[in-house]
Amino acid sequence: MTVSLEEIARYMRMGRTVPDGALAARVSELRDAALKAMRPSHTWRRFPLEENAISSGAMRIAIGGTLARHLAGCSSAYLACGTIGIGFDAFHRRVSANSGVDALIAQAIGAALIEKLMDSVEEEIRADLQPGETLVSRYSPGYGDFPLAAQRELLAMLDATRKVGVALTGTLLMVPSKSVSAIIGARKEITYR
Amino acid sequence: MKGIFSEKPMLFLDGGMGTQLQAKGLQPGEVPEMWNVLRPHDVRAVHEAYFAAGSDVVYANTFGANAAKYHGTATLEEVIAAGIGIAREAAQRAGGRRFVALDVGPTGRLLKPAGDFEFDSAYDAFAEQVRIGAKAGADLVAVETMGDTYELKAAVLAAKENSTLPVLATVALGEDGKLLTGGDVECVAALLEGLHVDALGFNCGFGPDRMLPYVKRLAALTSLPIAVKPNAGMPQVVNGRTTFTVGPDEFARDVVALAEAGAAVIGGCCGTTPAHIVAARALCTGLAAVARQPSPRTIVTSGSRAVDIPFGDSIIIGERINPTGKKKLKAALSEGDVAYVLREAVSQADAGAHVLDVNVGVPGLDEATVLDSTIQAVQSVTDLPLQIDTSDPKALERALRHYNGKALVNSVNGKEESMAAVLPLVAKYGGAVVALTLDEDGIPPTAEGRIAIAKRILARGAQYDLKPSDFIIDVLCLAVSADASSANVILEALRRVREELGCRTCLGVSNISFGLPARPFLNATFYTMALATGLSAGIVNPLAADMMTAYRAFRALTGKDRSCTEWIEAFKDYAPSAPVAARKPAAASTGDAKGESALSAAIRHGLKSDAAAAAQTELAAGAAPLDVIGGGIVPALEVVGKGFESGTVFLPQLLMAAEAAGAAFEVVRSAMPSNDAGSVKGPIVIATVKGDIHDIGKNICRALLENYGFKVIDLGRDVPPERVVEAARREKARLVGLSALMTTTVCFMEETVKLIHAELPECKVTVGGAVLTADYASKIGADHYSKDAMGLVRYAEQLFS
Repeated sequence: MTVSLEEIARYMRMGRTVPDGALAARVSELRDAALKAMRPSHTWRRFPLEENAISSGAMRIAIGGTLARHLAGCSSAYLACGTIGIGFDAFHRRVSANSGVDALIAQAIGAALIEKLMDSVEEEIRADLQPGETLVSRYSPGYGDFPLAAQRELLAMLDATRKVGVALTGTLLMVPSKSVSAIIGARKEITYR
Repeated sequence: MKGIFSEKPMLFLDGGMGTQLQAKGLQPGEVPEMWNVLRPHDVRAVHEAYFAAGSDVVYANTFGANAAKYHGTATLEEVIAAGIGIAREAAQRAGGRRFVALDVGPTGRLLKPAGDFEFDSAYDAFAEQVRIGAKAGADLVAVETMGDTYELKAAVLAAKENSTLPVLATVALGEDGKLLTGGDVECVAALLEGLHVDALGFNCGFGPDRMLPYVKRLAALTSLPIAVKPNAGMPQVVNGRTTFTVGPDEFARDVVALAEAGAAVIGGCCGTTPAHIVAARALCTGLAAVARQPSPRTIVTSGSRAVDIPFGDSIIIGERINPTGKKKLKAALSEGDVAYVLREAVSQADAGAHVLDVNVGVPGLDEATVLDSTIQAVQSVTDLPLQIDTSDPKALERALRHYNGKALVNSVNGKEESMAAVLPLVAKYGGAVVALTLDEDGIPPTAEGRIAIAKRILARGAQYDLKPSDFIIDVLCLAVSADASSANVILEALRRVREELGCRTCLGVSNISFGLPARPFLNATFYTMALATGLSAGIVNPLAADMMTAYRAFRALTGKDRSCTEWIEAFKDYAPSAPVAARKPAAASTGDAKGESALSAAIRHGLKSDAAAAAQTELAAGAAPLDVIGGGIVPALEVVGKGFESGTVFLPQLLMAAEAAGAAFEVVRSAMPSNDAGSVKGPIVIATVKGDIHDIGKNICRALLENYGFKVIDLGRDVPPERVVEAARREKARLVGLSALMTTTVCFMEETVKLIHAELPECKVTVGGAVLTADYASKIGADHYSKDAMGLVRYAEQLFS
């Protein structure tokens, strides 16, 4: 897995401008180092979507508000969690000690990498769909009125701390910092005739 | 009970507990330890089945019973005591020599610096668990499934300090053979041997087949008993359920290979059943014990890197984090400017150091506190092992305790007072220690005298079970200007320590040239001589090109740098040296705008070394330092800053330009008379607020402010309000910048702002961060909202004008 200069540039808020000259050289160099430092891993699982929750044993994620509207028409949902690993955070801390530019570039590289990873996770999930099903877009704790606190249940239901090494801080931030958790609804494809 | 691991040639543990309880109906998300009070018969049945299968030891159902993780309705005392009690009953029913282990698993929290959990909090959680378990009658403590050396250290220390029970510690390796936080087999072995566990090894992760190479590696590193508790193969998800597919016979066959490689304590983890233990026991019983005699090595580690201090080669210990004779570092340490120290760490690591010395001895500073926090901060930006350099035993103990890994200690000497204070600490926490060959009578003038002291220290170390391989002898480098025989004595002593004591050596090389001109030449030559005499570790400045060249040349010439790979890598761009001014600037910096100076163009294009060279050229051509700043650096920065504000220049380009300007500014500043060099604006104290570990925005602000000529004191991330106030008060800062990224941490920002305003009414506070708005900033009482780093610079310029 790798990412292009264009993709990284977007996360440096450069829009469609592609880095050149000294900046391009710096970005490529840091990207090579980041690829060595990262250790991507992911996990996902399919759950039936109940009336207003997803549950597994004693664990339960309540589904209401904006999330319920987002999942309208879905009969199942996938929980997914991916991370590019704790080694990337160590790399980011190291380059940040020396240079603000490097800090900014490395953070953009990390953002581009985790996004790419989640895209590939979504592809993997797509392959698991039953015939005639389609996925709705990813929805994460903290979006809309889906509370950040749901993070605990979401990660627990995936056993994500043990499986991919994603844990929570006391303030509900995920560590490693470049990690994404999400709920992805699956619904019957609507066919128009 | 300590003899539990030597009673029999092969000791059998139990198999999986979680998977067995799930088979009896434990639901996902249910707290397994609650079954000790709710369904004790079911838990006991699992233990009984394992004892019947031939397990000598069962792990009580207490894996997650620590205050950080456990959230059941019964108290920890209740579930742990019940858990141990149930296992005890099963042991009694089984009869014979049976043992009950208190099972200690991870907290589920990530420790700092990766996460936000304090080492001491993890320790406290484990300590409570161990005290309850020991009181309830456990026979041993089994620390298991650890994925982080730092948490492992907290758990083992807690077990050793809160009970007298034997400790078995196993870690969970990932598919790449490393812990979650990057530690390898060497890191784990060095740490656990240093902490004196009774047995060590691996559990979980994968099946016995894939555990084999790691058991072999471990067997070559340690003489302690090796324990294995592999899974029944790799987990596979079938219909949404995790299953393990390796059956008892296959499992047993692979376990035999582990036993033949040296494992003598055998059990199973996830997916293994009593049938797996029966089969493993049947095949392993009667195997001859494997005699192991690992050759003594001196390994120091961080959480993710092990460094072998070699006997036939040499490593570099970076000496720069030591305030002796370094004004800037002294100031940084006094002001709490962590960022400065971290840059010293990273630049030495980048230059090729293998270990970094950390000394924070500044008169008037609380050394124990500063050393502790500095070591933790340095460990957050580099994976190099550290050399803890202090003469204060209190500071040493605190630093050793909080150090992630097995440290190098600098130092002990032949004085009774030193040996009595330092050696027990090294023995307790593990570590290698530098032994200085001096005593109450000073430094002996002869090699003979220094060898005698080294021998005395080694003998004294033996009383604490420290081996010669735990020592690195420093025969002490004295200036050749004061004593003409100095270099010869040192070289003779180096040779004899190696030959007669079989010990590794180190030396602070550059002392040799003290008091003489052209020191770099003497240093590099003497360094080469010492290397040729077998020096194991040079304590040198890795940023000194002469020293690194001497080191690399020595290794290339003696065949240690195979195929001269490292030499070629270091000198691939080598060109015979030319005066800086004559160096051709890169094409981009010749100035594409008409009439633009090379300096200005270099800054605009973000070319750091070109900007520095151009500033040098202007100075050499006779320009006044202030003119170079006013005529070249400031206008170029202004152009870029305006471009950023109008959207034609992006943040990374702005920052690169600012860095280039900073490099030029540094050149000019060093050419100024020292009283003018103080023309720095500020200071500004900045921090990412408590609870928040995302500090990218703050780091960018720091970089930009510094390159705009402000003095910045960066307190780091996750900084409590009191520390911000304390620093602002001490530094008489007129401006404090705070950042917070998450909605969950903005409350701490508000708290910090209020505290600053209450305590320091003169001090302005500016805030920034992804979730903040100007409205919100004023709502929480901030004086200013920085929409971005440039906004902060503008505000600071206005405030300090």
